[in-house]
Amino acid sequence: MLTISVDNETTASGDGIAVMRLDGELDAATYLDVIGRARELVDGGTTRMLLDLSDLSYMGSSGLFALHSLAMLLRGEAAPDPEGGWGAMHQAEMRETAAELKLLNPQPQVDRVLERTGMKRFFEVHVDRAAAIASF
Amino acid sequence: MRGMVERLARSLEMKLPADVGRLAELRAFVRRSSADLDVGRHATNDIVQAVDECATNVIVHGYRGAGGELRVEVERVDDELIVRLSDRAPAFDPTSVPEPDLELPLERRPPGGMGVYLARRLTDAMQYRRTRAGNELTLIKGITEGSQHADDQR
Repeated sequence: MLTISVDNETTASGDGIAVMRLDGELDAATYLDVIGRARELVDGGTTRMLLDLSDLSYMGSSGLFALHSLAMLLRGEAAPDPEGGWGAMHQAEMRETAAELKLLNPQPQVDRVLERTGMKRFFEVHVDRAAAIASF
Repeated sequence: MRGMVERLARSLEMKLPADVGRLAELRAFVRRSSADLDVGRHATNDIVQAVDECATNVIVHGYRGAGGELRVEVERVDDELIVRLSDRAPAFDPTSVPEPDLELPLERRPPGGMGVYLARRLTDAMQYRRTRAGNELTLIKGITEGSQHADDQR
């Protein structure tokens, strides 16, 4: 079960940031919901997002796929095809830290998954919401 | 002293449809079983994720979303937690999936390789056996007395 909620925030310089909060468990049953919601936001003009992981109690490798897809969508590129798995990410090359997507407060299990898979280096991770919003 | 400890072997089992919508139930079952078998929190978290990743592979890549059954058995034998996943999907040996190179950009990593990689990292051993009915994957997690206590600090 995963609940997705979105707040719109504005930085001091007037830029809009979508704060997407994930509450519950992110697995193979729920990761497409996250990608779908992000796609709606991007279609509506969102270009920057803070992903609040404070209440995400579990993330499987499907969640890593979702994070990567979000970064691509926010960058204006097509998200990789879930049917193709990791090998489908031909256009979705990610070599540097994403500027458009930042993470807030990952819990220990989620943090370990990011660390163990080498994904953490692709994302700026914050523990304070206000500071995270100000960092964009 | 440890050699004198009475040998413990207890097991719990469940069957469920091979559907990603049932993964949360599967994780809850493994978590509950592990706690019932007096396994510490950290080892439990690791085995729960390893089972989730392997079961996801069976459902998505084995059964290819066509449905089927997944049988899970959780057993503690002395200082080892053993989870056996059985299915009737076409043959697939996750232990033969090559390790991904984590230095590579994501798009060059093999499909499904991340889940298997995590399962390997989170367990002490993974054993695959092709059975007459399908596939049987055994995940083994060692539980040392020290780590059980250390786990509770996390």
